[in-house]
Amino acid sequence: MELQDIINSPGLWVASSIMVIAVLAQGVIFLRAGLKEAKKIGMERERYMGGLRSAVITAIGPSLSPVIVLLALIAVIGAPTTWMRLNDVGAARTELAVISICSTMVGAEPGTASFGLKAFNYSLWGMALNNVGWLIVVLFTTHNMNKIVEKLYVKYDPKWIRLLMGGTIIGLVAFLLCGQITAPMLKGQYPKLVAALISGGSMLFITRALSKHQRLQELALGISMVAGMLLTQAIFG
Amino acid sequence: MGIDFTAGADFNKKLFQMGIWTIGFAVVANFIPVIYMWLAYGVIPPLSEIFRIWGMVGAVYGVSWIIQPIAFFGVLGMSGSYIGWLAGSVADIRLPAASMAQKVAKVESGTHEGDVMATIGAASSVLVSAFFVSLFTVIGVQVIPYFPKFIVSSFAYILPSLFAAMYLEIARRDIRAGLGGIVVGLLLTIIGLKLKAPGWMMTVIIVASGVVVNRVLYVHDKKKVKA
Repeated sequence: MELQDIINSPGLWVASSIMVIAVLAQGVIFLRAGLKEAKKIGMERERYMGGLRSAVITAIGPSLSPVIVLLALIAVIGAPTTWMRLNDVGAARTELAVISICSTMVGAEPGTASFGLKAFNYSLWGMALNNVGWLIVVLFTTHNMNKIVEKLYVKYDPKWIRLLMGGTIIGLVAFLLCGQITAPMLKGQYPKLVAALISGGSMLFITRALSKHQRLQELALGISMVAGMLLTQAIFG
Repeated sequence: MGIDFTAGADFNKKLFQMGIWTIGFAVVANFIPVIYMWLAYGVIPPLSEIFRIWGMVGAVYGVSWIIQPIAFFGVLGMSGSYIGWLAGSVADIRLPAASMAQKVAKVESGTHEGDVMATIGAASSVLVSAFFVSLFTVIGVQVIPYFPKFIVSSFAYILPSLFAAMYLEIARRDIRAGLGGIVVGLLLTIIGLKLKAPGWMMTVIIVASGVVVNRVLYVHDKKKVKA
């Protein structure tokens, strides 16, 4: 059986849909509880329905922005897994980072022929084990979070906590980026370096020079990615 | 305010119960695909490998697992936390939706009315984003096979383009840490390649180096303030 057939199999669609059902069910349950409570405490219907409408409109823009990463994910890990993981914990880029890390463990690279069943399975485990980290913490801490927050900020400098978190993310993305460009560069192959430079440059341009266009900022990552991919392809053929 | 408080307490208790049930269900749902792969195709990593994968993602995201839900709790509140961490996209979708719902309904965050509107806003945003992700997945499956060769070949450059754009987005918030991180990262990967160090070891070392860079800058700044 071909990898593409397995990662897009009907069975995997069903297995992946359980999480989407969980997410949707939670949305519906909380929405109903919220509307019921709004009515109960005597808020006017126009007020809470107006709030709901504006939340829906606000959510549309940023919901469109991961579309390019979504297409890339479908090409690498298949549609069912992409559908599940973009509906649940963590952003699209986090999932791609985890896939990249887990593939390295078995000596494979996502998007190439080296990415086989083993790399796919390791990636599935990686995404599951990563997501469960957030879920467990939320499950056990949310109800007495007020006390935890107070304790943490008394014990540690909030600025250092922010830097600690920022440091792990900077280190991670630096590693992922360098992993892409250094090995080919040492062999005298530069297309990936060029793709990184174009994409990074485009990101800088959009976030700096075009910073006033709010809608454009939401799409900055996607536009930069496409620019890096297509221009590099045009240059190196 | 006394009456308001009891009403809020009842509502909070309900949110808590709904949160525990839905998140608990999601924890189970989270592992169904890997169990399916095991039962249907017999592929499962050995237990030691599963722990290694866990260690890897923990080394990279472990701090975020704990810190993020705490850091965002103040703005998300209880229902926002349950919804936001299950559906993801906290900063770019849930928060703006919740705060717009509060703004339009003219309620203050932190009050009982504010919590109710945040719940309505965050929950409805989940339905919107789930709709679009599903729509795009269906469209993507139909369209991808018809992509011209030029575009399919350009997929080889997905990862460097994505990681570079991500890096710029993070690094521009703190230029010194951004420059430091990439220089140290480049040096370490070159050394790692020369020494043929295993990939997982490099991940852990370089992620730690990001923290070290930030710690150095933090201590440096503190000294400067004192001096």
